[in-house]
Amino acid sequence: MISLYKVSYKNILRKKTRSILTIVGIALSAWVLASLMGFNKGYEAALNKDIDNMGFQVMLMAKGCPYEAATLMLKGGTGLRYLKESVADSILSEPEVERITSMLMQAVFDPNKGESGGISAYLGVDPATFPAMKTFLEFKQGKWFTDPEAFEVVMGYESAELEQREVGDKLLIPDKDVELTVVGILKRTGTQDDGTIFLPINAVQKIFGKEGEITSIGIKVKKEADIAKFEERLYTIPDVQVVSLAQVKQTIMNLMSTAKVMVFSIAVVAILIAMVGVINTILMSVFERFQEIGILKSMGAMPEDIFKLIWIETLILCFLGGVAGSTMAYGLSKVTEILVRKLLPYAPTGSLIQLDIKLICVTLGSVLIIGLISGLYPAWRAASIRPLDSIRSDIN
Amino acid sequence: MKTTTRYIFSIASICLFISFISLSSVLVLISSDTVHAAVGCDLNDPDKDVARLFPDSTGYKTFYMSIDKKGGDPLVREIEKRLGDKFKGLYETADVPYTVYEIYKGTEKTGYIHGVNQKGQYGGIQVFLSLDMEGNIRNFYFQKLTSRAARVLREKSFGLQFVGLNLADFYNYDIQSGKNLSPGKLDNIQNPSLDAESDFRAALRATKKNLILMDEFVFDNKYLKK
Repeated sequence: MISLYKVSYKNILRKKTRSILTIVGIALSAWVLASLMGFNKGYEAALNKDIDNMGFQVMLMAKGCPYEAATLMLKGGTGLRYLKESVADSILSEPEVERITSMLMQAVFDPNKGESGGISAYLGVDPATFPAMKTFLEFKQGKWFTDPEAFEVVMGYESAELEQREVGDKLLIPDKDVELTVVGILKRTGTQDDGTIFLPINAVQKIFGKEGEITSIGIKVKKEADIAKFEERLYTIPDVQVVSLAQVKQTIMNLMSTAKVMVFSIAVVAILIAMVGVINTILMSVFERFQEIGILKSMGAMPEDIFKLIWIETLILCFLGGVAGSTMAYGLSKVTEILVRKLLPYAPTGSLIQLDIKLICVTLGSVLIIGLISGLYPAWRAASIRPLDSIRSDIN
Repeated sequence: MKTTTRYIFSIASICLFISFISLSSVLVLISSDTVHAAVGCDLNDPDKDVARLFPDSTGYKTFYMSIDKKGGDPLVREIEKRLGDKFKGLYETADVPYTVYEIYKGTEKTGYIHGVNQKGQYGGIQVFLSLDMEGNIRNFYFQKLTSRAARVLREKSFGLQFVGLNLADFYNYDIQSGKNLSPGKLDNIQNPSLDAESDFRAALRATKKNLILMDEFVFDNKYLKK
C-alpha cells in the first residue's frame, strides 16, 4: 500500500515549477537566517580576536581627565602628565601580565598647517615590544624600524597620505628642525593607527628632551587572568589611571546591537515571505484538488488523513528548502562575508560568519517549525472539505 | 471564497517582498558611504577662507569632481600629457576627489577656489588658487606646507607673483627641468630662497596641475592646445 509520504511527494511533483519556486523562497529565507545567526556568533568572536590582536587590553597613563585619556586611546593626542619608565618595570613583574610596551606621545605646533597653524603628533614606540603586540598591522611599503635610536618613522596610511610620504622620503618635525626618514607605510586598519606617526621611543625622548619619561603603557594580560582584579591593583599605583579595552569592546557591542536589530528585522520579513509563500502554494494545491479530496473522503479517508497528507506536503517543501538554504549559507559564507564587510562601518578582521553543525540544525529546525505552522491552515481547509460539496462542484 | 483567499495570500506575499527589498535597500544605503576613498584637498575653514579670498562674495557652493568619474584612464593620460609629467606615487591617483568652490556675489558667479595636494621635500603641500571666471589667478595660497623655507614661501610677496597668470602662461613650464621653455610672464616668478628649490618647483607643478584640472572640470578645456 502506498504511504501518505509517497502520495504527498507525488502531489508536490504534479506542479513542479510552483514547488521549485516555493522551495527557492524557503531556501533564501533559510540562507538569510543561517547567515545572520553565523554573523551574530562570528562578529563577537572576531571582535574579541581583534582586541586580542591590539596587543594590549589595558592601558596605563598618568592621571588626568579620563575623557582625554580615552581620546588618547581612540584618536591619539597628548597625555597630560608623564610616567617614569620605572613604572613599566614594576608592572612587568605582576603575575597577570604577559607583556607590556611603553609609549611616549609628543606634539608640536606647526605654524604652516592652515591659516593659523595646527598640531602634529608623534608616537614613540619600542621597536622591541610594540610590533610584537600589534601583529595585525601590515605594511603597504617598507617595514618597522629596527634601531631604537634611529631617526626613522613608520606612518599610518592616512598620515602618510596627508603628508604625501613614501618609503625613503624625508619628514621634518617642525619647530625642532629634525629630519626623519620614512621606513614604512602601514596599510589602512580603520583604527587610530591610520593617523599616527610612529618613531622609536628613544628617538622621541631625545628629540623632545624627555629621557626616562613615557606617557602610557600598553599591557597585554594573560588569557586566564582576572582583568577586573588586576585593574583594581593597578589603581593602587599613585598618580596613574587605567583605561580598559573591555569598556571599548562594550561600546562597540552596544553600537552593533542597533545594527543587529535592523538586520534581524530583515530576517523576520524574509521568513514571513517564505511562510506566506508556503501557505499560498499549499492552499492553491488544496483548491485545485477540491474534487479529488472529496473523492478520497467518500472512499473512506478520514479528516485527519487529509490533514496529515497536506501537512506532510508542507513539511517536505520546507525540509527541501531548509536543506538547500543551509547548504547555500555554508557554501556561500565567504561571499556573504565579503558583502557584510563592505556594508559595515566597522568590521573586525577574521571570520565574520561562523557556521557550525549546531547552527545549521537550528536553521533546519526553525524552517521545519515554520513549515508546520504554515501548513496548519491549508491542512485544516482540506480536512474540512465535505465530499458531497466537492463532487457537486464544477471542475473549473 | 477560494479565489479571494488566493488573492489575499498573493497580495500579502507581494507586500512582504516589497518590505524585504525596501529594508535591504535602506541597510545598503545607510552603509554605502563607508568605503575608504583617497584623500582630497578641502579648505580648512571654507567660510573664513572664501571671505578672505573673495572679500566681496556673498556665498559659495561646493561640488566634487574626480578624474575617475570625468574620464577615467584616458583623462589621466591627457592630463599627464598637458602637465608634462606622470602622476606619481601612492597618492596621485585618478580617484582623488577634488573640491571646487564656486563663489557668488548675490546670484552672480564671480570665481572659483580649488586646491591640490602635492608631494613636497619634507611633507605634503596643499596649493589653493582662487580664479576669476576666465581662469586667471586672483590668489595663490599654501594651505599646508612643511619646508625649511616655509616662512619665505608663505610670504604674501611670493603668492603675489602668481596673480594674473593663467594656464596659457604655464604651458611652456617644463616640470622635469623646472624651466620655462619660452620667455613669458612665468619668468617673473622668483624662488625666494636657495633652500626652497625643491618646494618651489613642487609649488609650480601643483599650480600647473591645479589650472589643468580646473580647465578640465570647469572651463570646458578652454586652454587646451588644439
